[in-house]
Amino acid sequence: MKLTVDERWDLIDKIAKQTVKYGKYRHTLKDAIAEITVKPLTGIPIAIAVLYGFWSFFGAFAGFFTDGFLVKLFDNHWLPWLQEVFPGKGGWVYYILVGDPMADNCFEAFGMLTSGLFVAIGVVLPAIVAFYLFLIILEDSGYLPRLAVLVDTVLHKIGLHGFAVVPMILSLGCNVPAVAATRTLETRKQRFMMATLLAIFIPCGAQLGIMLEVIPGYVGFVMIYLLTGFFIFGFILNKLIPGKSPEILLDVPPYHMPIARNVRRKLWVRVRSFFTVAIPFVLLGVVIVNIMYLTGFLDWLANLLEPILCGWFGVPKETVGPLIAAFLRKDLAVAQLSAIEMSTYQLVTSVILVSLYFPCVATFAMLIKEGREGGWKGVAQYLFGSLAALIAVVFLWGGLVHLIWIILGVA
Amino acid sequence: MRKKLSEMSYGEEGIVKSIEGNLRNKVAGMGIRVGKKIKMATKQPIKGPVVVTVDQYSISLGLGIADKIIVEAKE
Amino acid sequence: MKILLMGHPNVGKSAVFNRLTGAKVTESNYPGTTVDYTKGYMRLEGKDVEIIDVPGTFSLEPKDKAEEVAVKMLKENRDSVIICVIDSVKLERGLYLALEIIEEGYPVVIALNMWDVAEDKNIRIDVEKLENILGVPIVPTIAVSGEGIKELVSRIKEASPIDIEKIVEKAGGVEQ
Repeated sequence: MKLTVDERWDLIDKIAKQTVKYGKYRHTLKDAIAEITVKPLTGIPIAIAVLYGFWSFFGAFAGFFTDGFLVKLFDNHWLPWLQEVFPGKGGWVYYILVGDPMADNCFEAFGMLTSGLFVAIGVVLPAIVAFYLFLIILEDSGYLPRLAVLVDTVLHKIGLHGFAVVPMILSLGCNVPAVAATRTLETRKQRFMMATLLAIFIPCGAQLGIMLEVIPGYVGFVMIYLLTGFFIFGFILNKLIPGKSPEILLDVPPYHMPIARNVRRKLWVRVRSFFTVAIPFVLLGVVIVNIMYLTGFLDWLANLLEPILCGWFGVPKETVGPLIAAFLRKDLAVAQLSAIEMSTYQLVTSVILVSLYFPCVATFAMLIKEGREGGWKGVAQYLFGSLAALIAVVFLWGGLVHLIWIILGVA
Repeated sequence: MRKKLSEMSYGEEGIVKSIEGNLRNKVAGMGIRVGKKIKMATKQPIKGPVVVTVDQYSISLGLGIADKIIVEAKE
Repeated sequence: MKILLMGHPNVGKSAVFNRLTGAKVTESNYPGTTVDYTKGYMRLEGKDVEIIDVPGTFSLEPKDKAEEVAVKMLKENRDSVIICVIDSVKLERGLYLALEIIEEGYPVVIALNMWDVAEDKNIRIDVEKLENILGVPIVPTIAVSGEGIKELVSRIKEASPIDIEKIVEKAGGVEQ
């Protein structure tokens, strides 16, 4: 036998009356914090402070390890040593694995064992650890649902849900789990929109880490530009895609002190999956780009795409290499861009292009996987839908930044 | 006075009188049900969601959802 | 036989899971934020038994995708014992889910987690009486420190399907 909703609650009331005694309830500090972090007047400034704190911590932590220690290790010891002892200087194996024998830093050498390892371990690993450490503390403390309530006002205007802020923040770490996290959204429309917008507009932690190294002064601009795009195209997608946008219905739990043991465990799981998933892709990416370069394919493609790259986006044709690498790893692509000769503005445009352009292959696979719940038709919808949005965004939003430079007179 | 949950102002208390259709089952597991005391804890600006407290639970509801819950407000 | 760990989000379900499985987690994808579930093995009377950390849900009437997954997992594993993790501070709401699962005919063990928080808040729960009415094993736990976990494990074998009418009868009978 099953009870109706009301019968069940009546039964619970009866049981509770006999078994639970509520003593005097004391208002605690936790309750006070719980209140001020969700009230708009105090909650919004606090949210901004928390996110800014997140960003500062990310930059400081990653910078401390990368600039203070790992850059020196790779540039002064690992690279010269490898250039010295690796046999067959000038041969193609040397080129693929070690890269340019004259390079004096790991950004420019572009061999699998030099730039590949440096990007993965020297730059991206500290960024990933910093990101997840802060995120896990936010998660375990119970702050995220409050953030969701605060941003729901804005996100609901573009057909999303306050809780979409979780995949959004996750996405700043890695797009792959973020696309997976869109599953918590209610309707197919919301899930598709979120997955597409994430894949296009939100740069991942690996890419952010490398951006801090390559264009430290412009990361803020790039982020604001991308987020503005997120909302504008979100608004358009919301109008174009049929389907419902149900409203938020969310439990707001009390705060908890994060427990070191759980934080450690979660951090380990996430960093481990970065190691096993990302690093092989970075290394593979270097190899593929190097082979395409050696065979002359890259030059051919660069000349073919020159009118679009130089004319529409105002970037040198050599960016074609990084754009191909971007399909494998965005962090790798940004690192590669830094080795191409161009103006700072062109570099910023290129970084934006790398962000907008094709999601990396792992994210792509995840998009297909998410589309699969609707059968083959679902996969096709997810794929072609995302691709159409992607192409429109790359040309419009990517071209617009070129226009901004022209208007400012710097392009 | 009877009104929609969405019309309650900040800090106001009331008793849940009715919940529309299948929303009743959806919110039951979260603790919102007919006959319960409910308090408006916060309202977000520009038609944002509300946060209500029932017993000791805080629950956030979109304004459209809050429209479907009728409350007898305390004078 | 399998063991499913069910409960609301944010009741310390993952902490209970971590306590039960130790380090032997075989599959683990971004706990806490996505729908991907965690699976592990626990020692039960000399045997390794599979235990699944089901995504948090408020009821068996799913209101989003994660809850849908939770309900599906419950229905797919007909032969399992359910450990229902309840936040002791929010007993009533937790019982709602527990009763729904009992009504579906599953054997249930209840972990009254965050027992220490309830004590701090002066909430007293008569566990013996509650056990009497529901007819299922109920164990107070503090997953973060590991308290009560051993007893929880030792009482899994006592779980058996309970007829909801009996619970109604006992609850009403005692009152009058």
